[in-house]
Amino acid sequence: MVGLKIDGRPVQAPEGTNVLKAAEQAGVSIPHFCYHPAFEAEGNCRMCLVEVEGLPKLELACSTVVREGMTVWTSTPRVLQARKDVLEFLLAEHPLDCPICDKAGECKLQEYYDRHGLFAGRFVEAKEKRDKKAAIGKGLLLDRERCILCTRCVRFLRKVTGTGELGVFERGVRTEIGIYDGVPVDNNYSGNLVDICPVGAITDADFRFKTRAWFLKKGPTVCPGCSRGCAIVVESVSGYPLGEGQRRIFRIKAGENPAVNGHWICDFGRSGRRDIDERRHVRVMKNANPEEELSWQKALADVTARIRAVPGPERAAKIAVVLNSRLTCEELVLAKRVFAESLGLGKIFFADPKPGVADGFLLTEERVPNARGVLQAGFSPRLPDLAMLAASVEVLLVFGLHLLDHFSEEAVFRALAGIPWKFLFSSHAGPLDRLADFVFPVALPAEKSGTYINVDGLRQTFGRAVEPPPGVVSEREILGCLANGLGLNMGEPDAC
Amino acid sequence: MFKGWLVLKELLRGAAITARHFFVNMTFHTLKLFGVRTKRRGAVTIQYPEERKELSPRHRSLHRVLSREDGKPRCVACMLCVTVCPSECLSVEAAEDDDPEVQKYAARFVVDLNRCCFCGFCVEACPVDAIRMDTGEIRLAAEARAGLELPLEKR
Repeated sequence: MVGLKIDGRPVQAPEGTNVLKAAEQAGVSIPHFCYHPAFEAEGNCRMCLVEVEGLPKLELACSTVVREGMTVWTSTPRVLQARKDVLEFLLAEHPLDCPICDKAGECKLQEYYDRHGLFAGRFVEAKEKRDKKAAIGKGLLLDRERCILCTRCVRFLRKVTGTGELGVFERGVRTEIGIYDGVPVDNNYSGNLVDICPVGAITDADFRFKTRAWFLKKGPTVCPGCSRGCAIVVESVSGYPLGEGQRRIFRIKAGENPAVNGHWICDFGRSGRRDIDERRHVRVMKNANPEEELSWQKALADVTARIRAVPGPERAAKIAVVLNSRLTCEELVLAKRVFAESLGLGKIFFADPKPGVADGFLLTEERVPNARGVLQAGFSPRLPDLAMLAASVEVLLVFGLHLLDHFSEEAVFRALAGIPWKFLFSSHAGPLDRLADFVFPVALPAEKSGTYINVDGLRQTFGRAVEPPPGVVSEREILGCLANGLGLNMGEPDAC
Repeated sequence: MFKGWLVLKELLRGAAITARHFFVNMTFHTLKLFGVRTKRRGAVTIQYPEERKELSPRHRSLHRVLSREDGKPRCVACMLCVTVCPSECLSVEAAEDDDPEVQKYAARFVVDLNRCCFCGFCVEACPVDAIRMDTGEIRLAAEARAGLELPLEKR
């Protein structure tokens, strides 16, 4: 550890740390554009200038390594003037089209101008005209007028993904970011370019012009896309100014978790946005008809009655449950206690999405977030045998739609048509809806709180990131209600 | 008996006030008729639907969204008006424009006059001077609530 003083405060920082990081630890934030904690310092934006005692010139906080006994001042008049001047140079060529820029509201240039700039423009010359809408691949749009050439995007593609699709071309005033000979950005981590761009130069076509950043409510949660369990932030709008049929979830951004994903998430996880908004069940369905009046509690009483109608000793053979590995640990434990321990069911199966291809970085083969949790809850996951289900089962409870990932629609329909009572608990509309007597709308991982155990055995508890649509509840509430209805005391709050 | 007297007293007082106003106004109107100049003038009733009082230039009336020279709305859908609106009466939907100099325009700009409190904050907030409240239109009524949700981008 190295001892230094930043703005008069004594700071202890590990050897080799730069001043910027050490200052952040001490609670002093130094403005910067090009520096990103995931990369080595580049020092091209010149925004993080600080005064180091004993040195004649201002130093870059991002590329100055801490030394024992160093004294750093981050807000002397000299430093403040230097910041102002750097901002003035950056803004000299910036189009100031904040009203139409998607970054407005979370733009570092805006933030720093407000905090450190506040000068009037002195340039009377016209600004350079550049390409405002260059498609660089995967729905990313590059606005070269807004770009401040911090090269974070270039460094990300070289150092993190190793694909290096972007480069810096030309020199002087004509310097620009671009792709090589029309080869577009094409990797599974391209969405991070939008996250790390400190200004609005790289924007996402999916988010483009849909809303403004300050309307968004940010909900941190864990990505349910694969078993890695990356930290994500779900950004949503609730209530006004949302209209009928409009988007609720506007984007998913990477959260920070050094133990799992660092600063990045993959595009597969990012595309989970559509999953939360589109084709959702919001009503209980009876015989494939959405019921406006029927509450899930009332419909669930029917499930309870069907289970009660089966005499105790026959339950093990006549009741079957299909679960999935997207359920949280809490839900799985509850399911174990209700179905296996209290009801004594033997036919508990799992239907999960088919494994995909791992990309070697974050995305894993397992496309479910909680396969470890299933094992830890004491289940041994196995697929149901359709013929066996058809032969003996009278009451079937299916959680999730993933039976169709393993069996053809036709086979499932043929096998399950003979089962008298079928109940489906699913978040999305699908072909199975027509088959079930009741379909219960359930919440998605982003809409509930719980715990997932990731591929490395890391236990991560998350809270609710978005409010579920009205009338939609989590499996935990449904299972708790089912347990209460069956007269089993599971200590769950009575939601019925 | 006593109560009845109170009512009668107040009735007579009211009649006296009305009579006073009538005679005072009458006096001033008569004086004017005979060409006598007085400091005060008799009160005049405006015959409202036929006659209109002139609105002050700062008066805030129905909103309008200004258009560019080529007829497209000037609004760039920055949503600052939506943000600043205290009664949450504006809803704006953006769309992509082919012109790279414009890029973003308001495909839908709806003001819900059921909610609007005519504070004029939207006009103040607009960075491109796209919305004004200077139409002079104050007769804003409809038979149903939906009739007061006006799509301004079409006007």
